[in-house]
Amino acid sequence: MANAAISANSSEPSAPDGDRSVAKAPRDYRNIAPYFFIAPAVFVMLVGLVYPVFDSLYLSFFDWKIGEPFSKADNVGFTNYLRMFSDPDVWESIWVTFRFGFWTITLEMFLGVTLALMLEKPIRGASIFRTIFILPLMVSPVVVGLIWRYLFDARVGWINYYLGIWFGIEPQVWLGDAELAFFAIVFTDIWQWTPFIFIIVIAGLQALPSEVLEASRIDGANWWQQIFLVKLPMISSILVIALLMRLIDVFRALEVMYIMTGGGPGRATELLSLHIYNRAFDAQLLGYASAIAVLLIVIVTVLSAGILIIGNPMKDKSDV
Amino acid sequence: MKRWIAKSIGGLAVAAFAVTASFANPYEKYKGTTIVVSWPALSHYGKAQGLIDQFTAETGINVEVDALQYLKLRDRQILEMSKPEGEYDVVTWVVMWKGEYVSKGLLTPLSQFFTSGALVDPKFDIDDIADAYLQNGGVVGGKKGYMPGKSGALYGLPFGAETSIMAYRKDILEAQGIAVPKTYDELRAAMKKLGEAGIPAMTSRGKTGHQVTAGWLLHLAPLGGKIFDDEWNPVFNNAAGVEAAQVMREIAQTGPKGIPAFGFGDAAAAFLGGDAAFYIDTLKIAAMARDPKLSKIADKVGYALHPVGSRCGSETGGFAAGIPANSQNKEAAFLFLQYITSKKGDQKMVELGGDPVRMSTYKANADKFAEYPVILEQLPCADADWRPLIPEWNELNIDVLGQALTEVITTDKPIQPIMDAAAEKARAIMEREGYYAWKDVN
Repeated sequence: MANAAISANSSEPSAPDGDRSVAKAPRDYRNIAPYFFIAPAVFVMLVGLVYPVFDSLYLSFFDWKIGEPFSKADNVGFTNYLRMFSDPDVWESIWVTFRFGFWTITLEMFLGVTLALMLEKPIRGASIFRTIFILPLMVSPVVVGLIWRYLFDARVGWINYYLGIWFGIEPQVWLGDAELAFFAIVFTDIWQWTPFIFIIVIAGLQALPSEVLEASRIDGANWWQQIFLVKLPMISSILVIALLMRLIDVFRALEVMYIMTGGGPGRATELLSLHIYNRAFDAQLLGYASAIAVLLIVIVTVLSAGILIIGNPMKDKSDV
Repeated sequence: MKRWIAKSIGGLAVAAFAVTASFANPYEKYKGTTIVVSWPALSHYGKAQGLIDQFTAETGINVEVDALQYLKLRDRQILEMSKPEGEYDVVTWVVMWKGEYVSKGLLTPLSQFFTSGALVDPKFDIDDIADAYLQNGGVVGGKKGYMPGKSGALYGLPFGAETSIMAYRKDILEAQGIAVPKTYDELRAAMKKLGEAGIPAMTSRGKTGHQVTAGWLLHLAPLGGKIFDDEWNPVFNNAAGVEAAQVMREIAQTGPKGIPAFGFGDAAAAFLGGDAAFYIDTLKIAAMARDPKLSKIADKVGYALHPVGSRCGSETGGFAAGIPANSQNKEAAFLFLQYITSKKGDQKMVELGGDPVRMSTYKANADKFAEYPVILEQLPCADADWRPLIPEWNELNIDVLGQALTEVITTDKPIQPIMDAAAEKARAIMEREGYYAWKDVN
């Protein structure tokens, strides 16, 4: 209503200067409107994300233990950072995280895409298969950790039991051997997160325009050529987003490893996020843990930026 | 005049009633109060619910329990106790956290309450509580900050405290012709014999961090070792420490499958499930072995003293309970603490299937439970310096020893270099925290 009234005033030819400024108002409001609409989201992000990040950065310059007043904490400058760069345990955790990320993301992408390609066609029972595949995604990470901890249990676990019955394999100490424990957490992660890739890819495949597929078929493309030359290139932006989201997930994964192995044996399954948690709460080194958390943010930012530069799904829409 | 006399008589009657009432029931003032208790989700504490119900029925004080997995208690309790007004009125800590809690000013000294005639039950008899339990769980500030000493002060009362004994399978030892081991040499020979016979010998905690360290500490003390000497130099890499680590390696090699992933519950479950011939750890195993929900071996278990090496030395551990500095119901909380650790409360805990803390309770029930005479004999061996209960212990326990000992039990590498490297890390932590600041002064 107000805008209508202003417009009516601005249409008068003899309007004074003051009226001309009013006449520009509708365009100004339209310019402001987008900011108005994204303001709540920006506010939430500032409070929920940016503030903690800066607070963590601030804390990383102090030596503070929970339970002591922060006013008593010593400002130690860059000591925590210097210690971090020379701490072999931190580098070992980073290495474990990269190894974990490489195996899980590679296998999840392969299995997720394969399953999606197999179930994209309307075959008998496809909806049942899809529902079953999605189920692990719906289970809380803590429950996933508990389920697999008991499945991998050396003494009473089903995995040892059936490996013994079916293949005559001696019971293995899955969660007490460095290599086997690493395999166990990779296997568990694949079990839980392959459905995520599957859902995203199958949604992308089903949204592909049928004309393009029809045209490729008329041009004589076989099944393999359709997949590798038509379908996958057309959903490449979706694959990049899926890859990015899984990469970020890998760096913030904590609950499953915490429940299954606690990071052990030794530091064989101590991902960087779990290392940060252990430094903060077991050793009560909150400042030091914050410094490592800052490093984690830097690593994730660099990796995310790298992936986006290589395969930015929005690059064709730079005008948006 | 008549009115004045009537008023005076009425006033005197009211005063007399009030005095009589205060003598009649020390809990009356706190009736309707609700206190919140933080303690672990362990068998003993689950059984204590019966004692809580009795306390509430007798006193009118309500009790809410916040039970957590025992190693998760510390984070939650510290966060609560750091607030200006906390939710907890009673906290129950693993003894290794007492130094940290007190050094951060999070607990209330119990002397504040023990000086009040209105609060203290004259029949409470604190001297009847097993001294090892009281000193280890409740006293802070004595020798080295955590051992008994004249500078110590009482911050907690033991509830769910423990020492270590040995439980063994009578049927397996009889079938294999093995005598109950009294020394570590005998124990190691028995483990070897059982291992060769294909019978899992001894269960143990072994999971990286606190658990594997706790398993190793059980053997360190009787083999003559310590973590630090009197000047805070790490000495756990000496011959005794390395031998204790060697024992841990042998246990992992001859025991049930999965020891490197065993926490307290897993280790106990392996014994109670019939998968191990020996168990050396907390005395709580006895109550668990009697519980048909937990145990398949109730009538096959015997109990003996923790084997000796160069000396007798058993665990001092478990829990003690105290009152946070920011509790809003301190007096009601003290009455609760006093009630559950009183002679009556202690006996009730035995009837409920829990573990007592009083010598009189152990003696009165010695003919009913096979482990009680063993515990009475074991308690004088409970080592006050079993582990250093200093604020830095958690980091040493989990991050240094917990890592080194995992390497010991999961690899065949020489033990001495592993322990030497851990000792260097421990020294660096102690240096960082200023423990050697007096070295050049004196």
